[in-house]
Amino acid sequence: MSLRVAVLGSGAIAKDHVTALREVPGVEIAYVYGSDLARAQSLAGLAPGAVATTELDRVLGDPSVHGVDIVNATPDHAAFTLRAGEAGKHVHVEKPAALNLADFDAMVSATAGTSLMVGQTVRFQPSVATVAKAVEAGEVGRPRLAHITWYTGYVWPAGWRGWQLDRAKSGGHPVHNGSHCLDLAVWLFQRTPVRVFARSFPSYAAGMPVHDSFHLTVRFDDDSLALLEISYALRKQADMLRRIVVSGTGGSLAHSTQDDPGLTSDGARPAPSSVEGAMNVQLAHWIDVITGRAEPVVRVDEVRAALAAGLAGQESLDTGRAVDVAPSPLVVTL
Amino acid sequence: MTAPQPVRVGFLSGVRHALPYADLLGKDARVEIVGVAEGYDAPAWVREDSEAAARSMGVRFHQDLPSLLDPELVDVLVVCSEPTRHASLAVAALEAGLPVLVDKPVATTSKEVETIQQAAALAGRPVGIVNRLDSPAVQRLRRWVDAGHLGLPLHIDAEWFAGGAHFATSVERPELVVDPALSGGGELLNFLLYPLDYIRHLTGLEVVEIYCEAATLFNEPHRASGVEDCAVVSLLLERGVTATVTLGRVPAAPGLGPVSSSLRLLGSHGHATADDDFPQVRRYDTEGGVQSMPVEGPSSVAILRRFLVPCILDLAAGRQPNYSLADAHTSLAVTEAAYRSAQLNQPVRVGTDVQTISAGPKETA
Repeated sequence: MSLRVAVLGSGAIAKDHVTALREVPGVEIAYVYGSDLARAQSLAGLAPGAVATTELDRVLGDPSVHGVDIVNATPDHAAFTLRAGEAGKHVHVEKPAALNLADFDAMVSATAGTSLMVGQTVRFQPSVATVAKAVEAGEVGRPRLAHITWYTGYVWPAGWRGWQLDRAKSGGHPVHNGSHCLDLAVWLFQRTPVRVFARSFPSYAAGMPVHDSFHLTVRFDDDSLALLEISYALRKQADMLRRIVVSGTGGSLAHSTQDDPGLTSDGARPAPSSVEGAMNVQLAHWIDVITGRAEPVVRVDEVRAALAAGLAGQESLDTGRAVDVAPSPLVVTL
Repeated sequence: MTAPQPVRVGFLSGVRHALPYADLLGKDARVEIVGVAEGYDAPAWVREDSEAAARSMGVRFHQDLPSLLDPELVDVLVVCSEPTRHASLAVAALEAGLPVLVDKPVATTSKEVETIQQAAALAGRPVGIVNRLDSPAVQRLRRWVDAGHLGLPLHIDAEWFAGGAHFATSVERPELVVDPALSGGGELLNFLLYPLDYIRHLTGLEVVEIYCEAATLFNEPHRASGVEDCAVVSLLLERGVTATVTLGRVPAAPGLGPVSSSLRLLGSHGHATADDDFPQVRRYDTEGGVQSMPVEGPSSVAILRRFLVPCILDLAAGRQPNYSLADAHTSLAVTEAAYRSAQLNQPVRVGTDVQTISAGPKETA
């Protein structure tokens, strides 16, 4: 018998989720919900048997739906998660999970009887998973210093109307995409960020109200340090230059996309091989979590700590000062 | 036609970096090492180490400094003392009318650099400072910037790592790096100048603001002396350009040799990388081992080989090397600001008396 899930949202990222979920054995996408029925129908057409709907109550009221994958606009994550939790559904929510800690705490509470997994896709990229596995196995001792540079040629869509340029919708870039690197650092260190300093610059238009490029210095509660950098300044849209260095008491780990096998062709420019397939692995893992076959790789205390650091990063951009991170201790620390 | 006489080089102290420098100088017929001198009032271990250096070089050990501060005996002096004595020895050389090459860091405070500058101006002699701007990787990057291939630099990130595995062999005595009375500070003072030099060299811009987080994460000698072994640094340069430095003496550096560095430069019209360990050739042995071989050898040696003898020849000829006291002064001033930032836990303006940055919106075009 299939496990029935619903995808709540019909934007750009929703397509990635639908196509990944339909590949998970034993999973049936029952609904694709969206405020725009035509868009929802377009996505539902990708998953045999999926019903497109604009009625959230219909989805949440269907007892055959086991879990919902919330991939709508970030400001709506909290309200949808609360309703799904109250309806007894397991929840997977796209990152960033929330725009503030109060919303995130409410989301955790609302899903206490089921489960909440935040879609920290980076954790499921092959290279990152390998780094994390080595750290967890103690192959570098205790990790204490990290440098992550993540440079791409990605361009935010929709011109000046893009939601990414609206802080009220994105949370600002340290929250929006800083959540990737911050979550990774928290995950690897298993420590809590306590102070953040941020600096940014606009790389593809001087008047960007939200800068597409920034870096964060992060100090953790055991004095470990991380320097996290994101930039969209590469010239070609598909370009990616990412370097991860983690130094520990017993060794260092390093990966660069410069070392990846790759395709050079006028016909296509796929993502580096070290990041491919992450969404599929992530959503297969979610299914394993809600069916009790796996403990969640992404813990809510880790996500909360990263969100608190992202919010501090945005405050640092606003003030030009280093900012103490709101207390957000991890449940489990090494 | 007779060959020109070799340039006579003397060392003022030989406790830090003297042997690797002497090794390169000794292989070049254009240079002749003539002696090592040490202060008669220096601590016993300093005198012993300097005397041992002289013995290793096969040259005379001078029991006091004045006996080698003599233009009749030497053409160029090289200061290889502990950093806290760099300035006074450099000044002594200049006051004797001799050009001088000073090991890095040129001094431990900006005020000390100013004393060297004054002495150089009075003596009318050039001063060289050991630096790594001759890195082939950095020079390549600079050529690409100059050619316009990258447009305008927007951001640079630099990594600078030293490997703990090499600590015992690349540092003569740990206290030369960790005891503030000798070193003047920790690894920020020891290393930050290198990536700062790179960033200034590549952009042509000065640092105007710095934020620095420093910590002692790995090394017991550093912890015992209360100095940092790692730091992460955020820089604001002129024109709104940004840069970062990740720096550390870590147990296992992600590179080859005692130190390794890499850069990523994002420009308005392209991006480029530089790594002192690349290009490299890999050797796979029959036991399953893999060995990486940088094409010019370990970067420390390769860069020094390009720098050292030409610098000595420049100094002997009365020519000022490209990397000047002003450059070293600037990098040291930024390093001092890094320490202030790490102490205050706030960003600090460089080159002003303003201690920290006042609040104000940053994310503006």
